Amino acid sequence: MHEMSVALHLLAQLEALAEEHGANAVTEIELSVGALQGVVPEALDLAFSAAAEGTIAGGATLVITEVSAEALCRACGQAFSPDVGCYVCPSCGAADARITQGNEILLTSLECKCSEDN
Amino acid sequence: MPKISVVSNVLQANDAAAAENRALMQAAGVVAVNIISAPGSGKTTLLQQTIPALAEGSSAVLVGDLQTSRDAERLADVAAATVQINTGSGCHLSAEQVAAGLGELDLTGLDFVFIENVGNMVCPVSFDLGEHARVALLSVPEGDDKVAKYHTLFQAADVIVLNKVDLLGILDFDLDRVRDDIAQVNTRAPFVQLSAKSGEGMDEWLGWLRALRGH
Repeated sequence: MHEMSVALHLLAQLEALAEEHGANAVTEIELSVGALQGVVPEALDLAFSAAAEGTIAGGATLVITEVSAEALCRACGQAFSPDVGCYVCPSCGAADARITQGNEILLTSLECKCSEDN
Repeated sequence: MPKISVVSNVLQANDAAAAENRALMQAAGVVAVNIISAPGSGKTTLLQQTIPALAEGSSAVLVGDLQTSRDAERLADVAAATVQINTGSGCHLSAEQVAAGLGELDLTGLDFVFIENVGNMVCPVSFDLGEHARVALLSVPEGDDKVAKYHTLFQAADVIVLNKVDLLGILDFDLDRVRDDIAQVNTRAPFVQLSAKSGEGMDEWLGWLRALRGH
């Protein structure tokens, strides 16, 4: 359940970005979450709703897109897409993968209300 | 309603603190080792045996637990210093908590800072603490399916340690199954089998730590 940690980190960034852009409410947030992060979207949604209540992002919608895992074999340099729980290089058979995608939690966009929208 | 496009790492505050921790320890010539396992796999016992064997007083320990300072008390006699970090309900240590813990330590003369993470095989994996190496620890009583179930931990590990091997043959535990799963997940990390209680296999573990430190 590190979803609450993720939600709190996200909220801190949203507050900073909203201030930077002169927004007084955040209404929608798009996140890309790596498949290897162990983040459960429903749990993150719930944690974020709870954390955001009474803040600038209270009631905001979280749109979560899962990003697939991609790897580079350290042994032979082959790029490949690991299956769940299997990191064996299809080219050389080593399980020595450097994860190039799938470990990230990225905030990609947010929709805001500015004072002039009111 | 304007849409603002950004590409921002949500955990950037953690990752920035981790980079600072790493630089701080690098500058002090200290190697940091992050130990991640389930509760009860023997992290504290392993450290109780490891630290005196490396050299008395050469290591400090940051101990993460939800509650109590029992683990820090167990390590107080062998470590140069211990700092208990209680996370409350937090299921992992963060780099900011480690930074606060490091602030209580005198790094001068230390060889190692061991970070005993909160017992959990999922959440700690996502949080870089500024360590130089990551240990994935499992133990015989937990069963032989941990590597397959918690593959992201084992995939990212620099060493995989199986503790309590004195219980092999007593409990149902298929060592070949673990080896097969490791072959699917991480063949780069050495697989060290030991018993912190009996001392079996400790030399290989100590050798790995000394090699990590470069002497």
